[in-house]
Amino acid sequence: MDIAVETVNLTKVFRSWTGREVRAVDGISLRIPRGAIFGLLGPNGAGKTTFVKMLLSCTHPTSGTAGVFGRRCGEPEARREIGYLPENHRFPTYMTGAGMLDFYAALSGMEASPRKRRIPELLELVGLERWGRVRLGKYSKGMLQRVGLAQALMHSPSLLILDEPTDGVDPIGRRQIRDVLHGLGERGVTIFLNSHLLAEVELFCRDVAIIHKGKVALQGDVRDLTAGSGYRLEAAGVPERLQDELRAKARGTAARDGAVEFLFASREEANAAVDMLRAAHCEIESIARLHSTLEEVFVRTIDAQ
Amino acid sequence: MRNSALTTAALVRDTFREAFARKIFWGFAGCSTALILFFLFIMKIDVVQGALATISLFGKTESRVEDIRLLVRQVHGGVAAFLYSAGMFLAVFASSGLIPTVFEPGRIELLLSKPVHRYHILLGRYLGNLLVVAANLFYLVVAVWLIFGVKTGIWTLGFLYSAVLTLYMFAVLLTVVLLVAVLTESAVVATMVTFGLIILSPIVAQRAMLERLLSSAWSRAVARVLYYVFPKVFDLGRIARAMVMGQPAAGWMPLWTSAVFAAVTLSLALYAFSRRDY
Repeated sequence: MDIAVETVNLTKVFRSWTGREVRAVDGISLRIPRGAIFGLLGPNGAGKTTFVKMLLSCTHPTSGTAGVFGRRCGEPEARREIGYLPENHRFPTYMTGAGMLDFYAALSGMEASPRKRRIPELLELVGLERWGRVRLGKYSKGMLQRVGLAQALMHSPSLLILDEPTDGVDPIGRRQIRDVLHGLGERGVTIFLNSHLLAEVELFCRDVAIIHKGKVALQGDVRDLTAGSGYRLEAAGVPERLQDELRAKARGTAARDGAVEFLFASREEANAAVDMLRAAHCEIESIARLHSTLEEVFVRTIDAQ
Repeated sequence: MRNSALTTAALVRDTFREAFARKIFWGFAGCSTALILFFLFIMKIDVVQGALATISLFGKTESRVEDIRLLVRQVHGGVAAFLYSAGMFLAVFASSGLIPTVFEPGRIELLLSKPVHRYHILLGRYLGNLLVVAANLFYLVVAVWLIFGVKTGIWTLGFLYSAVLTLYMFAVLLTVVLLVAVLTESAVVATMVTFGLIILSPIVAQRAMLERLLSSAWSRAVARVLYYVFPKVFDLGRIARAMVMGQPAAGWMPLWTSAVFAAVTLSLALYAFSRRDY
């Protein structure tokens, strides 16, 4: 398997002048395959940003290793494959949107002519085609996020690291960014998303890791993590006798607007209940697999620590 | 190699853009232009039969060639002294604002995320800053040199050499700005430390007198060490003045000891920057 990001026992300990130690990242080992859409979650101060900064070599690990596409993160060449949008970015306000894209693309090693060609393409992609000549000081926060995303995409990176990419963006702009990222995901670009917006991560990412106090608390496929155990069956016109019979088999029941809701632990039990209800000519209102939201999974994970 | 040149050019261009935006460049250029216009209009030269006859300055007429030569040298000397003293302070003040901005949170991470060595980022900014000051310095010096050369026919290269020496001293002091900015990320501290060195320079330059006056051996040793370790802003100023006046320099030791100081300071700045977490 081709690996985009790999960390082994990655640890960062910050030491203050007084000798106090803070283990911001504590032995994190992660493998993110190429083409994955990966979300990194965690409460404030969990170590997410420090982890990302070590991938970008902004912060030096105390121990352990981090690599991108097989190269050690400390090597500048490893960063040629990375496009990055920081959370609290501070783009030079004296630059125009086009000037900023040109500057960072030049630092990424792009020659002048491809830069010139790509700038209008990307400004159009993020919906800022008319703003290229305007100074960044006049941009709104949402526009800065979008031009920041364009900056991260200028050199066509294979790995995109985005820290709160939709922060401050209006719903339409947010959807636009999501569409851009979906398109990149389909083209095989690995996307590493660091976000507090759990609903967005759930909607967008295939894999997530929740980190807490510098350690990975939970990791896996979003569908597996949010999948609940059991099924919810709602039916109307259920005779009393059948209700009692099903209540005895179900994990739980609830009555609502003339309908009855049963919770079954397994698919077999749910199917058997459907057969019994249909045999009694009852109406099946709905049947669904139980699942949790990513937010519920997140809160459960953090509370359990 | 090509990538390296591309990166350097981008970093230098960025420094110029920031200097333009902060109006530092235009402020310097405006002052220089005012001075150039002043020299253009105060000096009235009457040329008789193709030869220099008289120069009228504030209505006073000078006609002897030796007097005129001295006058040109003195004007050159005045401009050179202004650039070496007030100009140096202004250049350091402006640069102290330009360098720490690179380390602002949200900006430095983006720079470091690019496939560029850390030393390259710092040296690119250093070079950009040096070129901003060089552009301003040579604009004024070359213009004044041309005005006086064309009007009097006296072309003294010493004035141009003194400008090179001024830029050299600024390059030395800029390494201090760089080191302090990397360590503290503060423009104010970088300015204060560098100004401190400039102010201290004429004091430690009196090494011989200090050694005579100081009673204990260790304090004499301290005075001697400070003199040799610190950049010789005062001594190099004297050399610049001698160059303008067409006199020989007393010695070149201040030049190379300042170069050693700059090399050490720059190396420390690069090392500190390479080890820092952002």
